[in-house]
Amino acid sequence: MEAEKREIDVRGRKVALVEAGSGPPLVYLHGFADLHGVAGNLQPFHEGLAQNHRLLAPAHPGCNGSGDFLQGNRVDDFLFHYCEVFDALKLDRFALAGHCVGGWLAAEYAVRHPERVTQLALIGATGLFVAGEHIGDIFMNSNPDHGTSLATLRHMLFASQDAAQALRYYPDGRGDLDEEMRRYGMLRFGSAIGFRPPYLYNRSLVDRLYRAGMPAVVVWGAEDHMVPVSHSRAYAKHLGHSTLQLIAGAGHAAHLEKPGEVLAALQPFLNS
Amino acid sequence: MSQPVRLFCWHFMSYPHVPADFDDKYETAWITVPNRLWDRDKSKGLLNGYIDQLAYADTLGFDGMVLNEHHQNIYGLMPSPNIIAAALTQKTSVGKIVVLANLLPLHGNPLRVAEEYAMLDNMSNGRVIAGLAPGGGQETFNYNTPAAIQREQFWEAVDLIEQAWTREGPFTFEGKHYPLRYVNPWPQPQQRPHPQIWIPGSQSRETMRQCARRGHCYFLSSRVHGGAIAKARQEFSKILDDAGSKYDPFRMGILMSAYVSETDEQARVESHEGIWYFLKNCLKGHLRNFQGRSLTFGPGVPNVDPADYRRMLENTKPGRAMLGDVDDWDALTKAQSILVGSPDTVYRQIIDLVRETEVGNLLIQFHMGNMRDDLARKSMRLFATKVAPRLRDESRVVFAPHFQELAEPA
Repeated sequence: MEAEKREIDVRGRKVALVEAGSGPPLVYLHGFADLHGVAGNLQPFHEGLAQNHRLLAPAHPGCNGSGDFLQGNRVDDFLFHYCEVFDALKLDRFALAGHCVGGWLAAEYAVRHPERVTQLALIGATGLFVAGEHIGDIFMNSNPDHGTSLATLRHMLFASQDAAQALRYYPDGRGDLDEEMRRYGMLRFGSAIGFRPPYLYNRSLVDRLYRAGMPAVVVWGAEDHMVPVSHSRAYAKHLGHSTLQLIAGAGHAAHLEKPGEVLAALQPFLNS
Repeated sequence: MSQPVRLFCWHFMSYPHVPADFDDKYETAWITVPNRLWDRDKSKGLLNGYIDQLAYADTLGFDGMVLNEHHQNIYGLMPSPNIIAAALTQKTSVGKIVVLANLLPLHGNPLRVAEEYAMLDNMSNGRVIAGLAPGGGQETFNYNTPAAIQREQFWEAVDLIEQAWTREGPFTFEGKHYPLRYVNPWPQPQQRPHPQIWIPGSQSRETMRQCARRGHCYFLSSRVHGGAIAKARQEFSKILDDAGSKYDPFRMGILMSAYVSETDEQARVESHEGIWYFLKNCLKGHLRNFQGRSLTFGPGVPNVDPADYRRMLENTKPGRAMLGDVDDWDALTKAQSILVGSPDTVYRQIIDLVRETEVGNLLIQFHMGNMRDDLARKSMRLFATKVAPRLRDESRVVFAPHFQELAEPA
C-alpha cells in the first residue's frame, strides 16, 4: 500500500505523520508495540484500516521523528497537543482509533469533544483505574534481564514471548538501532504521560466516559498481560454505546499478532 | 606547596543479614527484595554501630564522613541520610559531613532540603557538604519520579535551594515544578555564602556543564577504572575552560572502596566475605548485568536525552560486564574500584590514580556488605595511620606543578 510519511508543523512543534488510503478520515493513535512505538512503517493491520478510510497516524511527541515532548508531562498537555494536531490537519469530524496509550488519549479526546468523533475504537487501551487490576510496569520490564533478555517485556506485550512479531521487534541483546531509538522515544513519552501515579491512567476518566456517546468498539487480546481484560469490560460498561470483542490467542499487541481478527472486529463497525 | 588530597570515609550502611543462598533464590537486592528478610533481632543496634564507625573515622583524622540516600534495598539503609547526618553532628567534631546526596525529585519540595541542610550546618558548626542529586533508575521506581522530566525537575530544585541560601527572603520562586509564593527559610546555613554543593554524575556532559556553570564540585559516581576517570576529568576540565573557569583537584571527587590489612594475603582473607557479599548480593539489580535485572540505567529509565542515548548505543555492547559481574580476585583487581592489600599496595594504587587523574576528593568506602565491625575498623585505622599520611605528602608533590595557587584548606 502507498503510504505517505510527512512532517507537519503544529504551532512550532514538529509532528511526524503517516497517511494512507482514501475515504472518510480515520485517526489512529499508537501504542508501544505499534507503528511509531517500534515499527517505522505501517503494519498489515494499519494497511487494513486504510482500505476504506483516509488513515492519519501521527507519532506522539518524541516518537519516530516527532519533536520531543516540550512542556508536556500530563495527559492534559498531550490532549491539547492533539487538539492542535487535529486542527492543523483541518479535521472536523473523524473516526478515532487507538491502541494502548493511544487508546487512552483517544478516549480522553472523545469525552471532551464527542461532537467531532464519529466512531471510537479502542484496542488494549490504558487510561482506566480498576481496583486490584493494575496495568503492568512496562518501564521495569523494558530494562533487560541478565543484561540482554527482553523475555518479560515480550510476555507483557504479546500472548507468547516466542511469537514471531515479539522476537522481531523486541529481540534479546541489541536490536536494530532505529528501532531501539523508536522504542526509547516511546518510553520517554510513556514516562512523561504515565510514569507517576496514576500509572498510565486517569482516575477521572471513567466517570466522564458517558459523554462519549458515539458508537464505540472495544477490542482486546484475551491474553493481554499488560492491560488486564477487566479494563476492556470497564470501558465497554461506561462508554455510551459500545460493543466488546475479545481476540482469542492474542495479547496486548493483538493488532500485530492477529491483524485479520482485529480488522474483522473493527471494519464492519468503521464502515457502517 | 599545594593542598593534599582530601580523604573521606564513606559508609553505605548495607544490610548484612541476608541468607547465604540469597543470590540463588532472589532476583534482586533492590525495590522488590522481600522485606521479610529484615531480621529484627539481628538488626538491633545495626544503624548505631554504623554511626559509631563513622564517628571513629572522625577520630582517625579523615577529612570527612560520607552518607548517601537509597530506598527499599539491602545496599544502603539510609532512605533519609539527613537523620544519620544529624546523629553525626552530635558524635563528631572535626570532619566534614558529606551527604551525597539528597535526591531532590523524591522530596515533596526542595525547600525542605534547603531547610534541613541549613539545620545540619548549624548543628555541625558549619561542617556540611550538601550533595544534590536527581536519583538513579531505582528511585524513579521507588518514588514514581517520571524519568523523562527527572533532570529538568532536578535543576529547577537546585536553583531553588541555591536561591533559598543566597537571596534575601522573602521572595517568590517562579518555578515550573516548584512554584513557591514565599521563600524565606529560617535558619540560614552557618557557612557563607552557603555549604559547598556537590553533584554526582555518571559521565553525563550535561551534569558537568551545569557544575561548571554553577561552581559546584562534580562527583563521578561511576565505578570505573583509572583510564575512564582520567577521561571524565579531561572532559570536565575542558568544560570548565569553556565556562571561563579552571579545573583544580577539589572541583571533582571520585568513589572507590578499600580494604587494608598487614599484608596483601591477609587483606584478601579478611575482606573476602564482606566484599563478595557486597558484589554478589548488594549489587544485584544495580551494578550486575549477568544475573538479575539492573535498573540503574537503561531504556526503562529514559532520563537520558535521546541524542546521548543513541551515542551510548553506538558505543557500547549490550550486556557488558559490570563491577558485580567479576568472578575472582584478578578480575576485581583489574576493575580498579575495590582496592585490597597491604598499606603499601593500597597506597601505590591510589597514588597512581591521583597521578593519572589529578582528582583531589577521594571518597572511600571501607565497610562492605556484611563485613565485621572489627575488620572495618582495623582497615580504617591502618589506612588512616599508614596510607593517608603518605598520600597527603605525595599528593602535594603531584598537585604542586599545576595547582600551586591553591590555598591551604580552611
